[in-house]
Amino acid sequence: MADHKQEVFEEIVTRFVELKNTSELMIDLAYSSLMLNSNTSELMIDLAYSSLMLNSKDLAEEVERLEEYVDKLHTDFELLALTSDFKKEEASGFLGLIRLGVATERIADAAAEMAEVVLRGIEPHPVLKLTIREAEETVIQACVTEDSPLINKTLKEARVPEETGMWILAIKRGEKSLRPKPYTTIQLGDILIASGYAEGVEDLKKLASPQHQCNVE
Amino acid sequence: MPQFEKIEYKPIPVSDLLVEMKNLSELMIDLAYSAALFNDKELAEDVIELESRIDTLAYLLDMEIMVAARDAEDAETLIGVSTVASAADKISDAAADIAAIVTRNIGIHPIIGEIFEKVEERLMKATVKEGSVIAGKRIDELDLAARMGVDIIAIRRNKDWILDPDETDRVFLGDILITRGAPMGIKEFKDIAEGKLTKLED
Repeated sequence: MADHKQEVFEEIVTRFVELKNTSELMIDLAYSSLMLNSNTSELMIDLAYSSLMLNSKDLAEEVERLEEYVDKLHTDFELLALTSDFKKEEASGFLGLIRLGVATERIADAAAEMAEVVLRGIEPHPVLKLTIREAEETVIQACVTEDSPLINKTLKEARVPEETGMWILAIKRGEKSLRPKPYTTIQLGDILIASGYAEGVEDLKKLASPQHQCNVE
Repeated sequence: MPQFEKIEYKPIPVSDLLVEMKNLSELMIDLAYSAALFNDKELAEDVIELESRIDTLAYLLDMEIMVAARDAEDAETLIGVSTVASAADKISDAAADIAAIVTRNIGIHPIIGEIFEKVEERLMKATVKEGSVIAGKRIDELDLAARMGVDIIAIRRNKDWILDPDETDRVFLGDILITRGAPMGIKEFKDIAEGKLTKLED
């Protein structure tokens, strides 16, 4: 196959992977926002790290923001597939790709509908909290500053759950949000969204921003 | 024409129904992408079957909610539950559409699967057959993650699905295992499960 074509295919896969992972991340965040106690931050108000706390609304807003981002990714993906100069006999294989993109975008839409429940101020029914095991957990965000030992480590190497008891839900990097995978590398400036019990919050903060105060708006 | 069964009310806790819908719909997403990208008809058919299971759960959950709501206040708190259930149902519908790319013989350009396999893990189905060294063993005894980078994400036993099995669960003859992992690892594991390879190497 011509090198040019191989490149186009690689680009298509890269964009598809981002589309797919972002929509799956949205599902994770949407469920988390539904299970989170809406008054967690009030309970934590006395604690030093209350500025790191996310409430269910923050998470739901992140899902809505990602929904718009997914729409953009989807358009780029479709345009790339349609302009890749395929032959007539390849049309079916490209139709399959287009349908894959459409279905992925619908998954993202469904996640956004869940988040909307939170944004409409519907108090999560106790049943929803039962659906996820760890309902008393808190969700925080911590930014990775230049003195952090986490920089340039993969999540597997960073061993955050082992060290802190906190589970990383998402990594915010500029406009993107990444769904954590074992081989995802942590970078300077990343914002880690993590859930766990209150005891782990301080440990995670020390790992991500040892010296610096980090102000996440 | 598909057969539609009549669904009768059963007193099942709403949380049980919702948990199952959530877990099954998430499994379906994984299965559907693997089916479509690697043109795996068997996986695709599993997705289509799970989709009808989710539909049944959605009916049961709706009925449960209707029975539970006694006044306007109940309705206001329960609307969140029904919205979430309907979103899980939509996710499963989307997964079924992805599976339909395979079952309707549209297919996805094969190069896409080849490249995808290099960057992402894939799923594979393996049936525990006669003579397999893993039959009757506990999942933690198999130590699959360390040995071959493979994870068992679901077990299908007769008509039931066991999602995200515990380390202490056992695998039995006839179980269908859904595994996730690097291409080499899951192919090796499939051979072991089917008794073609009889050694669990370190």
